[in-house]
Amino acid sequence: MTQLRLSVNDAQHELEIAGDETLLGVLRDRLSLTGAKLSCGRGECGACTVLIAQDGAPARAIYSCITLAAACDGTSVTTIEGLGRDGAHPLQQAFVAHDAVQCGYCTPGQILASLALLRENPTPTVSEIRTALSGNLCRCGTYPKIVAAVQDAARRLAVGE
Amino acid sequence: MANKRFVATKVEVEGREETRIVELPEFEPAPWTADVPMDVVGQCVPRMDALEKVTGLATFTTDVKRPGMLYAAIVRSPIANGRVKSLDLAPSLAMPGARAVLLREEVDGLRYDSGQLFDHVIRFAGQPLAAVAAESQEAANRAALAAIVQVEADAHAVTSRAALRQNAPKIRSHGNTSKHSPRVHARGDVDAAMAQADVVIRREFRTPCALHTAMEPHGAVAEWRGDMLTVWESTQGIFNTRSDLAEAFGLKLTQVRVIKEHMGGGFGAKNGAHASTYIAAALARKTGLPVRCVLDREGEQVDSGNRSSTTQRVALAARRDGTLTAIIMESEIAMGVGGWFASPAKICHELYSCPNVRTTEVFVYTNTGAMASFRAPGHVEGAFGLECSMDALARELRMDPLDLRMRNYASHDQEKDRRYSDKRLDECYRQGAQRFGWKSPLSTSSARSARLRRGKGMASISWGAGGGPPSYATVRVNQDGTAEVLTGSQDLGTGARTVFAQIAAEALGADINHVRTILGDTERLPYTGNSWGSQTTASVGPAVRMAAEDAKTRLLEAAAQILRIPAEQLEARESFVRMKGAADPTSQTPSLSFQQITEKLGDVMIIGQGSRGPNPDKTALFAFGAQFAEVEVDVETGHVRVIRLVAAHDSGRIINPRLAESQLEGGMLQGLGFALFEERVLDESLGLPLNPTMHDYKIPTMSDLPTIEAFFVPGSDTVANHTGAKGLAEPPIIGIAPAIANAVADAIGAEILELPITPWRVLAALERSR
Repeated sequence: MTQLRLSVNDAQHELEIAGDETLLGVLRDRLSLTGAKLSCGRGECGACTVLIAQDGAPARAIYSCITLAAACDGTSVTTIEGLGRDGAHPLQQAFVAHDAVQCGYCTPGQILASLALLRENPTPTVSEIRTALSGNLCRCGTYPKIVAAVQDAARRLAVGE
Repeated sequence: MANKRFVATKVEVEGREETRIVELPEFEPAPWTADVPMDVVGQCVPRMDALEKVTGLATFTTDVKRPGMLYAAIVRSPIANGRVKSLDLAPSLAMPGARAVLLREEVDGLRYDSGQLFDHVIRFAGQPLAAVAAESQEAANRAALAAIVQVEADAHAVTSRAALRQNAPKIRSHGNTSKHSPRVHARGDVDAAMAQADVVIRREFRTPCALHTAMEPHGAVAEWRGDMLTVWESTQGIFNTRSDLAEAFGLKLTQVRVIKEHMGGGFGAKNGAHASTYIAAALARKTGLPVRCVLDREGEQVDSGNRSSTTQRVALAARRDGTLTAIIMESEIAMGVGGWFASPAKICHELYSCPNVRTTEVFVYTNTGAMASFRAPGHVEGAFGLECSMDALARELRMDPLDLRMRNYASHDQEKDRRYSDKRLDECYRQGAQRFGWKSPLSTSSARSARLRRGKGMASISWGAGGGPPSYATVRVNQDGTAEVLTGSQDLGTGARTVFAQIAAEALGADINHVRTILGDTERLPYTGNSWGSQTTASVGPAVRMAAEDAKTRLLEAAAQILRIPAEQLEARESFVRMKGAADPTSQTPSLSFQQITEKLGDVMIIGQGSRGPNPDKTALFAFGAQFAEVEVDVETGHVRVIRLVAAHDSGRIINPRLAESQLEGGMLQGLGFALFEERVLDESLGLPLNPTMHDYKIPTMSDLPTIEAFFVPGSDTVANHTGAKGLAEPPIIGIAPAIANAVADAIGAEILELPITPWRVLAALERSR
């Protein structure tokens, strides 16, 4: 067992974990944050995407199903539950407005991958959106609506700034 | 003699017609014909569960956690055919956290799509042999790996070709083809028509085994309290799952409660109890604790259903003017070890006007996981053969492919010789072709270059989507003036919650923001059927409407008493009751909000009941569509890029255009995957699946996204039912693969006969045509 200090959605946690526990497992099973989903378990589909940041560096989108929790000591993690706690985030609003949601299983991952993109590139082209989100699969085929939602959210965020 | 209260009616589900008993509803609401003005139906109301889903609050079956819950993992067969010699789970039980094992002798009689659960006769690689329950999923997985499995392998047959060989290993006790095989459908005199035809074309096509690959795998959480079983299941049919479980465990239907709040996709593979459901319930009974059994991705890809692979030999005969005189299709369909007979031939019986048709289908058992319904099962496969053949015929006749299809337009149901309730395929052709620019040459920017060549193609769609009874709904107006739709249906991500609320709000005269839908619980909600076969809106929608109309009658009577105005002079709109014809609710005329009425009524509840009536006699209830594709092919690498897809669909009245558009786009993207990437690959010598992961089994990603324009031709099919709506979930996947294949053929001047259209198949087609 090893000691893990983790900030999740600005709440501090100290946990005893086994060496083989994944970040996704810690989030879902220990912290009951079930927004991030297990679908492939191999870093192939993006349903488990969360944001992770360390030492003030910008947050990156990662596949939490293949990230060992022990390697996340001292990091800050943002899950979908941490987004828009004071009213829906512009990305969440845009996903609703553009119907960029069907079954909703991949949606938390899509939104967090989009957030990572917009933080790095506030005005992405359609082609940049497609590339950035190509690691987040959606079997319902909401892709056209997601592209529209991300473009709209970029506009909403630009106006908000 | 008085009319009978209970009558029989026909319902078509995924190409199969069933007779069902229906109780005639107390009243039939006036049809919502196309000219009836609507406040809420037809509006792009935002998806009602979208906020839950974007905030991560939506609870899926995989998110259900019960106190003391154990996690199950499955021990699977490493070979494709043979038997278990010995199975030792003592090492599994000795692993840390392991709590129980479940063996063959404990699940006698529990059968699922692939046969007896944990059968020691092995018939496919990945077949479940036993299960383990442990304190965490990781512990369960490790315990399952510790099982010692000794097997004796026999020769296997994983393709229909291998299974049909003379000395092929026997896969089912009665042989390797279905009973009553081949299945033949014939009308007219095909041989005479072939002999007299001006033109005959013959082609052989292959379609691959495709995997549903829903983001949420199959899974269940089961919990017993005494002899009451509660199961949370990711399912398209809570009531089907309930009856499967009741039968398997010898329970009354009402001893089983099945709950489904949200689900991460189904696409046809989740229509009842599965291996995972039975394992969770059996282990929960054995341990006395709640048990969760969710398939891992490999389990999902090898043993949760698939679209059968097919070979199809198609012949078309025609007159010089393009009139079809005969259609022949002979096909072999590889089902795996079980499943049902999804017919690739059926589309040949119904899509075109043709007096002479003969189809022969051989359904073949193979040593692979059982097939399951997969979005328009049969039609997707058959449309590829038929619609690519139509293009081959058009080339032979030097006719425009669209003109050829119009020439052979079927104005009544050819297969069963009956009327259509409504058919606007001609409008789909016209409007689709116009939006696509079918009759004009591809734009200058897309002119052919030596290496990158562009082409266009199209295909047509028909699909039985009329729904039917039985389906029930309750609409209750609460003391706070809000209304709730209660119906035991399922929202797969389709938007059923939103669509039902819109129908109820329209019929009740309520503000849509004051209406919500509660569904997905067999214990607390009235019966509806499965959400399969594009059934839900057309089956449940009329029941919801009737329940809301019933509630409105009561509400208006209450308002009439309060206002001292006869109920006939009142109407309800936007959650206000007022005089008919009044300009707006705030005007001088007397009006009451729903809340004012319910407050006056105290604890009296306004409850409306509704049910789905019978389908019209001798009538085909179909949805239609025409789909168009533009592609760019790199003739040096064989790479195909889909530039744009245009689809015009006829599904009667559309309740929510934005949600309907989302579903069309999604179906079209699944069609694109089927056309270009998706294929379960098996090692024929080992009988093992080679790509049971999401990396190796390629579904479309956002990088593959073409420009998509999908729309509906306006209409309302009130012959089908009084809401005028038909189903739309499955039609959009049907025409995409042939439209793309026809576009590739147009681009490179060589026909595509096999899916998926991989670069090497394109290069091979080019090679053949040289």
